[in-house]
Amino acid sequence: MPLWRRKSFWLALSVSWLLLILLGVFPLRLAVPPGPLPGCSQGWPRWLDAAFLQSFSQSETLPKDAPQLSQAPRGSSCTWGACFDTSKCKGNALKIFAHSPAGTTTEAHRRILDSLEGSRYYALSPTEACLHLFLPSQDHTCGPLPPYWNGGRNHLVLSLYPAPCTRLGQAMVAEASPSLDIFRPGFDVALPYLPEAHPLQGGAPGQLQQHSPQPGATLLAVAEEKGRWRITDTHASTCPWGKHCEQDPGLHQTHPGETLPNATFCLIPGHRSAASSLLQALQVLTALRDMLPSKILSLRQQTQFLWTAYFSSVEKVIHTTLEIIQDRIWGTSAHPSLMWNSPPGALLALPTFSTSLKDFPFYHLQQGSSPESSFSALIWVGVSSEPLLKLIQVVAGSRYCAQILILWSSEKPPPDRWPETTVPLTVIEGRRKASDRFFPYGDISTNVILSLDAHSTLSTSEVDFAFVVWQSFPERMVGFLTQNHFWDEARGAWGYSTEMANEFSMVLTTAVFYHRYYHTLFTHSLPKALRTMADDTPTCVDILMNFLVATVTKLPPIKVPYGRQHQEAVPLAAEGPGPVPEPQPLAQDCFSRVAAGFGHMPLVSSRVRLEPVLFKDPVSVQRKKYRSLEKP
Amino acid sequence: MCASVKYNIRGPALIPRMKTKHRFYYVTLFSIVLLGLIATGVFQFWPHSIESSGDGGVEKRSIKEVPVVRLPAASPIPERGDLSCRMHTCFDVYRCGFNPKNKIKVYIYPLKKYVDDAGVPVSSTISREYNELLAAISDSDYYTDDISRACLFVPSIDVLNQSPLRIKETAQALAQLSRWDRGTNHLLFNMLPGGPPDYNTALDVPRDRALLAGGGFSTWTYRQGYDVSIPVFSPLSTEVALPEKAPGPRRYFLLSSQMAIHPEYREDLEALQAKHRESVLVLDKCTNLSEGVLSVRKRCHQHQVFDYPQVLQEATFCVVLRGARLGQAVLSDVLQAGCVPVVIADSYILPFSEVLDWKRASVVVPEEKMSDMYSILQNIPQRQIEEMQRQLSLSETLLFPQICFSSNLQEKRTFDVATGIIFGIARWFWEAYFQSIKAIALATLQIINDRIYPYAAISYEEWNDPPTVKWTSVSNPLFLPLIPPQSQGFTAIVLTYDRVESLFRVITEVSKVPSLSKLLVVWNNQNKNPPEESLWPKIRVPLKVVRTAENKLSNRFFPYDEIETEAVLAIDDDIIMLTSDELQFGYEVWREFPDRLVGYPGRLHLWDHEMNKWKYESEWTNEVSMVLTGAAFYHKYFNYLYTYKMPGDIKNWVDAHMNCEDIAMNFLVANVTGKAVIKVTPRKKFKCPECTAIDGLSLDQTHMVERSECINKFASVFGTMPLKVVEHRADPVLYKDDFPEKLKSFPNIGSL
Repeated sequence: MPLWRRKSFWLALSVSWLLLILLGVFPLRLAVPPGPLPGCSQGWPRWLDAAFLQSFSQSETLPKDAPQLSQAPRGSSCTWGACFDTSKCKGNALKIFAHSPAGTTTEAHRRILDSLEGSRYYALSPTEACLHLFLPSQDHTCGPLPPYWNGGRNHLVLSLYPAPCTRLGQAMVAEASPSLDIFRPGFDVALPYLPEAHPLQGGAPGQLQQHSPQPGATLLAVAEEKGRWRITDTHASTCPWGKHCEQDPGLHQTHPGETLPNATFCLIPGHRSAASSLLQALQVLTALRDMLPSKILSLRQQTQFLWTAYFSSVEKVIHTTLEIIQDRIWGTSAHPSLMWNSPPGALLALPTFSTSLKDFPFYHLQQGSSPESSFSALIWVGVSSEPLLKLIQVVAGSRYCAQILILWSSEKPPPDRWPETTVPLTVIEGRRKASDRFFPYGDISTNVILSLDAHSTLSTSEVDFAFVVWQSFPERMVGFLTQNHFWDEARGAWGYSTEMANEFSMVLTTAVFYHRYYHTLFTHSLPKALRTMADDTPTCVDILMNFLVATVTKLPPIKVPYGRQHQEAVPLAAEGPGPVPEPQPLAQDCFSRVAAGFGHMPLVSSRVRLEPVLFKDPVSVQRKKYRSLEKP
Repeated sequence: MCASVKYNIRGPALIPRMKTKHRFYYVTLFSIVLLGLIATGVFQFWPHSIESSGDGGVEKRSIKEVPVVRLPAASPIPERGDLSCRMHTCFDVYRCGFNPKNKIKVYIYPLKKYVDDAGVPVSSTISREYNELLAAISDSDYYTDDISRACLFVPSIDVLNQSPLRIKETAQALAQLSRWDRGTNHLLFNMLPGGPPDYNTALDVPRDRALLAGGGFSTWTYRQGYDVSIPVFSPLSTEVALPEKAPGPRRYFLLSSQMAIHPEYREDLEALQAKHRESVLVLDKCTNLSEGVLSVRKRCHQHQVFDYPQVLQEATFCVVLRGARLGQAVLSDVLQAGCVPVVIADSYILPFSEVLDWKRASVVVPEEKMSDMYSILQNIPQRQIEEMQRQLSLSETLLFPQICFSSNLQEKRTFDVATGIIFGIARWFWEAYFQSIKAIALATLQIINDRIYPYAAISYEEWNDPPTVKWTSVSNPLFLPLIPPQSQGFTAIVLTYDRVESLFRVITEVSKVPSLSKLLVVWNNQNKNPPEESLWPKIRVPLKVVRTAENKLSNRFFPYDEIETEAVLAIDDDIIMLTSDELQFGYEVWREFPDRLVGYPGRLHLWDHEMNKWKYESEWTNEVSMVLTGAAFYHKYFNYLYTYKMPGDIKNWVDAHMNCEDIAMNFLVANVTGKAVIKVTPRKKFKCPECTAIDGLSLDQTHMVERSECINKFASVFGTMPLKVVEHRADPVLYKDDFPEKLKSFPNIGSL
């Protein structure tokens, strides 16, 4: 039936045409809703022709004109590179000379000068100095400028209060609370505003007694006038920060006269009247309440660390200022940031020792490194004697011993022949000074030192165990014989005792493990006066080293067991056998003088002795690794 | 049926019946119509579904179609940038408000084409990089399309490069933005500021209070804490992939690759090259390149041609010298090559210097010291050379090979580990903050975000430490060396189910310890009520009973509000053998080591070489790596960590298996502090000698297998073995010394 066929064919054709036209005219939008969904983020469009866009620098022809040379600093601003001549600092070492203050010497001036004298950057004459200190008088003129002022170049204007005169040419300004519009970042130094009664030296450590805030402690205290504090409700969560809270700023209870409230956070607003509205507007409380416990924990500890390391005394503030300037001179070999911001702080971590954090005893955890696995024995020989040869054999017998150094401080010449040892043996000629013991000899090839006296008697087992313990506490001293300090009411001074006691705070350095870094610290950071005193009174060296390490660690040393047969071992420089003598008056005097020199008592007592896990346990001797430690 | 069959049979005959010319015509027409139909259908349905799923509803338009805005000649011009602007004076933080996520909201103005009165465009619409930058912001968490909720506004007016801009008209375009308001909370991105002859170091377009993210700021133009210093993006970064190169010996000590250098500086550099011969290489543009070779990708020294930027990988130090502008794209290339940049551009504010510690990744040399550069660089590591050489023998050598043989001098030059770290950090800075426009945009927003929500800001370590350091380092949450005062005391937490008699004995015993300040009983039995108050032993400190919702082991480590002291003594309800002296001494030891677990019986983990996995060891060995928490002192912060921060599924796993909560605690504390436990006193086990378990041997064996499984499970979840093995335990100073017992602080320290 051709007609029927032809008809159906035409029908199909026309229907198709119709569909095609319809679809073309009214686009079918059934699959997607017209336009983007409401509420759905539209974002930056993806341009169809994005590929044809030109690069921003394409139109940029290389500047043909000669680039300019460095411009001279415009009067108003100074940068370190432009306004300080580092070439004047020989060997990149900062030396500061203090010119006598302009006008009358005030109490503040005197405190600055006193702090400066104890600094390792102090210069005795202006010729050796590359930085000149100028203490302005407290009037607006700042007083007469010192000689060789030279536009202020290489001068430091230092004021513990906001400086009376704002701009002094190219001189650096270190002042309390500088205003933002005149402060030159990277050039000037901002100091904390210290109370007048701030201690000159030492200073009280932070008052924080626990790491985490006390439960129920006030969240926030806001400073008010006349030393009063307003504290927030501990149950501030009862008041959601909705509209009905506008009448109640969430603060109540004033505590007049209280020095500092027991609060987790303190707010010291610039404009006190604005405090409440500020809290309201910024919803400070909500933000504080939402803060993670881990964050609060670390903030609390960091405040304490910063206070103790840089703020607790005038001396620390001044020394920190100089350290900042020295860092600028050093440039790339300055303190890495971690040294400034983690214990013990930049004043006690000297980058002259190393710029690699792994070389210091403090940063192994942060660096993911572990302490070394071998030590150097440094044996101090005053009077040559038989035990020395035995001691060498004992020490060389330790599998952790890498080398033996003999520090020969005797009048007699050292013997020509030394016993054969498996480890290298080096003889160093000492200068016969007590402080020689702690000199950073270049021959010391490991980070760990076992410091020994020729008279010391030890067993290899004891050496091995003490060393393994040291590896767990690389920043502390690990020793065998200990002493304890106490406050002597009768004398009104600190004293110490060598008697056997339940507590100790010092270890004798006649046999002790510690990190080589403490030699550098002892030699380069201790005030000269203290080191001279140590040379005059040999027992003092011991005390001085213990004070130094305790200042750094804030922790007691570690005591390990010592065989009973050695009970008679004597402290440094004491002579003859017999019971441990009580410290001589001279030594007691030295102890109080060292304590005075540090300005505070850094020693911390411990009631713990670390022993092998099976020490003196009633189990088979065969099980025990350090059995000879227990021999009666 | 029949017809259809017939039809089918006849079907093929249909076409031949038509006339041949008609047949051809119909077939063609029909196929065209059919094809058209199919094509229409496909266009109608298909493309939309692809677009909606792939681009999230982003519209596809041509840049040529953007709306045109005519700027009248007299329309307002913003004031010049205010140099005294700081966040608290020129930025309206109230617009950002409090945000639970602590993230600012950024709005991007829609793209417009600006023309002047005469219809002449103000600038080319948008550059490839600025388009990428806006797209990156739009894709980030910061983006909002709701202008009223935004706290930061980014104009779509491209000012990345100042040269093609018509300054006045661009400024007018900015001023007419709907929320401009003197530029408050507006952020402009500019990488190439200034123009000839004096090349200002900040964008010359008047912008009032707007924040400027600028490449090439100097100390005179940079508003510290307000502007953001950004890098000059190097388009080469996307074109050339430079594989990371291990730090260590490189062919040249110092290299200069820039083409436009002031003749005086080039003289200085060439003098250095003449003096140090092959260890210094000074490159310039090539003059005799054949046609078709990209001149930006080649550098020449005399007649020698080098590939750029590949040649940068051959040098230890690379010079980044100021050109007409302070910011140079070469800095990015140099960092990518892992070459340590030597930045010689006085007063230049390095990119992201607000957060990045450039001391760790670069050397800055004052321009006037340029001729001394070589000796300055050589002096970097050579402090106490012998010491350095000694360090070479240490394990660090594996990480950072430190000996470099310089080809010309044939002398051994030592490299500080610090230099090795600088290599790594330079490359890391590039990867994290330089390598793409997106990285630059997001780092800029993060910096602004950190200023607005400082309490949620990213830490120094997160900004600066490369991932390798982050993985290996430990940051102890209790890092401050501090011995808490004895007066605080400790809180004893006894976990109990129904052994009331034994529980009461434990309470009575523990209450004799002088430093106990509170006793907390965690009643883990939901089917039974705790005994009446009158039945409990009368003790001198507060006693609190906490009832739990479920009998779970993790209840013992929950940070209960009732815990007021920092020290916590976890103790089982059957530990009655510990003496008062022993417990008091344990507390004293905790005070000296407050960041550690201080416990009595010690245990050890060992590597089983046969089974190739960890094994639990309870033999009386010379080493310990764990303590049992049947009686252990620790800081209460670890309760918080155990409950809320325990990695993986360990907490639930322990509750389900009713075992190994103590091992989990040992893992947690060791992992977070990097320190070993402290085992105190000779105590080896908790079971009393007289109470022997029924069928003790087999019970012991299954116990050991389970405990070993726990160690293997935890080690795999932690991804490492955090436990530290030590050979010491803590005893009182005069323990077993020949000394009168009555004078000892802790005479009764207990037995095994």
